Amino acid sequence: MEHIRYARNRRDFLTQCFCGVGALGYSSLMAQEKRLSPLAPKPSHFEAKAKAIIFLFQAGGPSHLETFDPKPLLNKLHGEKRPDTFGKVEYQNVNQNSRLLGTKRTFARYGKSGLEVSDLLPHQAEIVDDLCVIRSMHGDMVVHSAAQYQLMSGRVIPGFPSMGSWMAYGLGTESDSLPAYVVMPDPNGAPEAGQPMYTNGFLPAAYQPALFRAGQRPVLNLELPKGITMQRRRKTVDFIRELNEANLLGEDPEFSARISAYDTAFKMQTDAPEIFDVSNEPQETLDLYGVGKPETDDYGRRCLLARRMVERGVRFVCVVAGGGGAETEWDAHSDIEKNHKRMASLTDKPTAALVKDLKRRGLLDSTIVMWGGEFGRSPESERGSGRDHHNTGFTMWLAGGGFQGGMAYGATDDIGLKATVDPVHFRDLHATILNQMGLSQDQLSVLHQGRRERLTEVHGEILKKIIRA
Amino acid sequence: MVGVTMKSWSALVAAGFLLAAPASVGDTAPLGVYTPAERRHWAFQPIKDVAPPTFTDAAAKAWIRTPVDTFVLASLRGAKLSPAPEADRATLIRRVSYDLTGLPPTPAEIAAFVADRSPKAYENLVERLLASPHYGEQWARHWLDVVRFAESDGYEYDTHRPDAYRFRDYVIAAFNQDKPYDEFVREQLAGDEIDPKSNELLVASGFNRLGPLRKNQGNQEVASSRTEVLTEMTNIVGGAFLGVTVGCARCHDHKFDPIRQSDYYRLQGYFAQTDTNDVIVATPEQQAAYRATVTPIEAEMRKLRGSMRRASEEEKGKILTRLEELDEKMPLPLTAMYAVKNNTAGMTQIHLLGRGDYRNKGPKVGMRPLGILLPDGTEELPLETSKPRLKLAQWITDPGNPLTARVMANRVWGYHFGAGLVSTPNDFGRMGTRATHPALLDWLSRRFIAGGWHVKDLHRVMMLSSTYRQASRSPNEKGYAAIDASNKLLWKWNRRRLEAEEIRDTMLAVAGRLNLKAGGPSVMTSIDPELIKDLKRPQYWVVTKDRTEHDRRTIYLIYKRNLVLPFMQVFDSPDTLLSCARREQSTHAPQALELLNGKLSNELAVELAKRLKTERTSAAARIDYAWRLASGRPPNPKEKALAQAYLDDPDPAAATEFALSLFNSNAFLYVN
Repeated sequence: MEHIRYARNRRDFLTQCFCGVGALGYSSLMAQEKRLSPLAPKPSHFEAKAKAIIFLFQAGGPSHLETFDPKPLLNKLHGEKRPDTFGKVEYQNVNQNSRLLGTKRTFARYGKSGLEVSDLLPHQAEIVDDLCVIRSMHGDMVVHSAAQYQLMSGRVIPGFPSMGSWMAYGLGTESDSLPAYVVMPDPNGAPEAGQPMYTNGFLPAAYQPALFRAGQRPVLNLELPKGITMQRRRKTVDFIRELNEANLLGEDPEFSARISAYDTAFKMQTDAPEIFDVSNEPQETLDLYGVGKPETDDYGRRCLLARRMVERGVRFVCVVAGGGGAETEWDAHSDIEKNHKRMASLTDKPTAALVKDLKRRGLLDSTIVMWGGEFGRSPESERGSGRDHHNTGFTMWLAGGGFQGGMAYGATDDIGLKATVDPVHFRDLHATILNQMGLSQDQLSVLHQGRRERLTEVHGEILKKIIRA
Repeated sequence: MVGVTMKSWSALVAAGFLLAAPASVGDTAPLGVYTPAERRHWAFQPIKDVAPPTFTDAAAKAWIRTPVDTFVLASLRGAKLSPAPEADRATLIRRVSYDLTGLPPTPAEIAAFVADRSPKAYENLVERLLASPHYGEQWARHWLDVVRFAESDGYEYDTHRPDAYRFRDYVIAAFNQDKPYDEFVREQLAGDEIDPKSNELLVASGFNRLGPLRKNQGNQEVASSRTEVLTEMTNIVGGAFLGVTVGCARCHDHKFDPIRQSDYYRLQGYFAQTDTNDVIVATPEQQAAYRATVTPIEAEMRKLRGSMRRASEEEKGKILTRLEELDEKMPLPLTAMYAVKNNTAGMTQIHLLGRGDYRNKGPKVGMRPLGILLPDGTEELPLETSKPRLKLAQWITDPGNPLTARVMANRVWGYHFGAGLVSTPNDFGRMGTRATHPALLDWLSRRFIAGGWHVKDLHRVMMLSSTYRQASRSPNEKGYAAIDASNKLLWKWNRRRLEAEEIRDTMLAVAGRLNLKAGGPSVMTSIDPELIKDLKRPQYWVVTKDRTEHDRRTIYLIYKRNLVLPFMQVFDSPDTLLSCARREQSTHAPQALELLNGKLSNELAVELAKRLKTERTSAAARIDYAWRLASGRPPNPKEKALAQAYLDDPDPAAATEFALSLFNSNAFLYVN
């Protein structure tokens, strides 16, 4: 990385860059930029409880039965056919002949709230008093891609704006140098729904996600081309500005916006690398997230980056756990124990660390942390010791952002087959997080080809009981 | 009766396309009743035969060139506005070149046009570019946006469609030949029914397969893919041809437009028999080699599937794993044409579906066009009717259909003037906007039909107008903007930013690297490995070996649903998942980062710098040439001075950075 040079800091860059601008001072330039950027902060529809969202996307579908939803009856019925009284569901692979599979995990009560968590997630067990565990999630699709689209965009088909894009569209960003909406994919590869699940859909490209990848080039196009010095580039950007200004005929908002986009681009170039440099974090914090430990280093680092981004005003961060195939996702078709133990060992500690760290920094109240996948897993066994996809009842949890802590909301039936008490559809979850961000699901809409499109498609129900008074 | 005055209805009925079937019995959905208020909506009215406004004063007579101008001038005068003066010649040739071909004019072409003394100089320019093979490439791109063309399935596997390029080439050829639009519509919807022996028409019928396609392992019933396939086929007909958002009526009666849920499923009825048809074009040798590889794999798969029924859960796991392994081993399918055919025996029964869910089957329906455009009580045809899609296509392209010609004329207008007369080109319903110049839209639509549905004729009547030739800045800019900020009345031409493809193509052209080869399989360029990692099946990305192919026009690069190239994405290229009637023109920082630091712009800046150095000797000449190449005009004195100052620098990188600056300048990125 030795050929990559960045300006020391933004102010340094800007002051040097704009000495030739004349009457326009630094501060007025900054003010102008804010006004012209499509990502300028926008007022919420009503008072917001939260300013930012971190979605810990557990791709592939973690089992509710091995994590947050204990079902003693399931263990009793292990090896039997599912009693007809529980009703029917449709699966991708499991069929009528499959047998119920008890869990090998043991559950215990934790915290003041006494919420039950399995021994698969000992670290998340420590934060239960900050969690609102929704045990009655359900979605419409039992295949990955379609379920992932619905989780992300409210629609079972691709092409519609994702949650992050809607938030960026509705609220802009508090940061003047970082994107409003960041996705940090799993370095193992993409989950099934691929790139389209994160996109801006028909919203303008300004609201597209910035993908911060692992590896040498976390962000495309942030580094200077080989052989070009910062000093040289400074002259070039000055030159571009002068050329464009030489052609300005009176007021021209679009051209001014283009000029200001170059300034923002430079701020991104100087600020974004700084965010990846976690060396100034205290060792205790690094340890908390498991940075430096082989299993947790990657996910821990990404959770830590999520906190750093939220601190700097990024609106929506999606940290992806899982991708690149069933083995490296929560998609435990063949051996639930092996798969989930592995996924938990990578993610449990960093997940808990994020909530703890946000809390002690006073950021948890204004940040929603959301955990979960596109579905849960079947009470029936698949291939002996695995579980199939399962969309009719599963668990997600919320923390911070004005939500109740230490609470279990809703319930599935006695074998975890269907959400029977206070069922929560993805659209209800979407409506609720929008609400906490101060956005009305109906107002946040765009007319697209004859329809007022919104994240919740048809109206979602705000889960009032889980919101702190 | 309002809204049903199509002249040729009786002809259609006589030909057996309508009203012919006996009323269905049993649990058939009602035929729908439409209120007079619903029938009165402007877009459902017959296209009016309007006479262009007349003017007697000399100023008007001097300005008016085509009838388009009379409509525009009448509205302008109504608002006490006057048109902007004509743009200069250099501006005009650049504008016309981009609008028709998506490519910049060369400095020599600009010089020749500026110096052309013929009174027909401009007309000749338009004709020359209409005849250019690159015209089809530009206008195909617009159409491909509308029909959400892509070369992979999307969803989980995003399986490649290596032969999808044939449809792209069909569209390019159709525009280049100026194929009548009604024929173009019929061929896409029903090419296989028109002539199953014609390769061209079989490829055209692949239109019905352009949508994203979900394929899954395991339980196919759960995948509900047939419903999704039918939905894709039906929705695109509404959006692309009719400007009616029929998709809204999939789950319930349309909330705003008079489209009942029964109308939606009756439209879907035309596709009940439609099945895929891969017409193999591989050589006998290729076919033999393919069979040799595939036969043992398929035999093993069959055997494994057979043993599944008796297998225990543990064994099943092993079998499924092995099946997945075998699936990965399957070679790319044989070269084929992606067509459709009718499979009457395996036809899908069409029902109204509660909330659009395939499990909530309601009453049955047959096939019928949209009720709002038919007399009340028009009967449906049975689903078994022969050549169903051709019947639908004939209804769509019937000259009496009030929507089809309007929708296409409006699209063409939108691509020339920055916004359609109806600014929602896929939605002529109540939620769409009203036409800014309704009489003009009707006049254009009538002319379009009367002239034989020739799109090139629409270009002529629009581009030869004084309206089109206006400068993109008015002498009364401030005052007029206060009256009509979005320039709906057309008191100037709307400046536009180059689209993603145009930016890339122009950088290549200016750098002297553009490979103008036409047609053929799509190109995969070398991209950031991090992007390939985001694919479920990275093995699909196979970089095209011949490097010269990497410099071809962007329309010939692969359009993959799960990997939109970042360069395209930042410049508002559509995602190919939904129909895109109009691209956004957003302005944001990642665009600047892409053009400043991106691999493509930097690589081509080096080439441009080299070109300037070898083709011109003095610094002044290089500056002059650079501007003519990049912005189609010489630099103005200010620009010249700035460039001289910038280049007066011993740094060897200055020349390259100068070239890069041009790619980043508004003079390059905008068409005036």
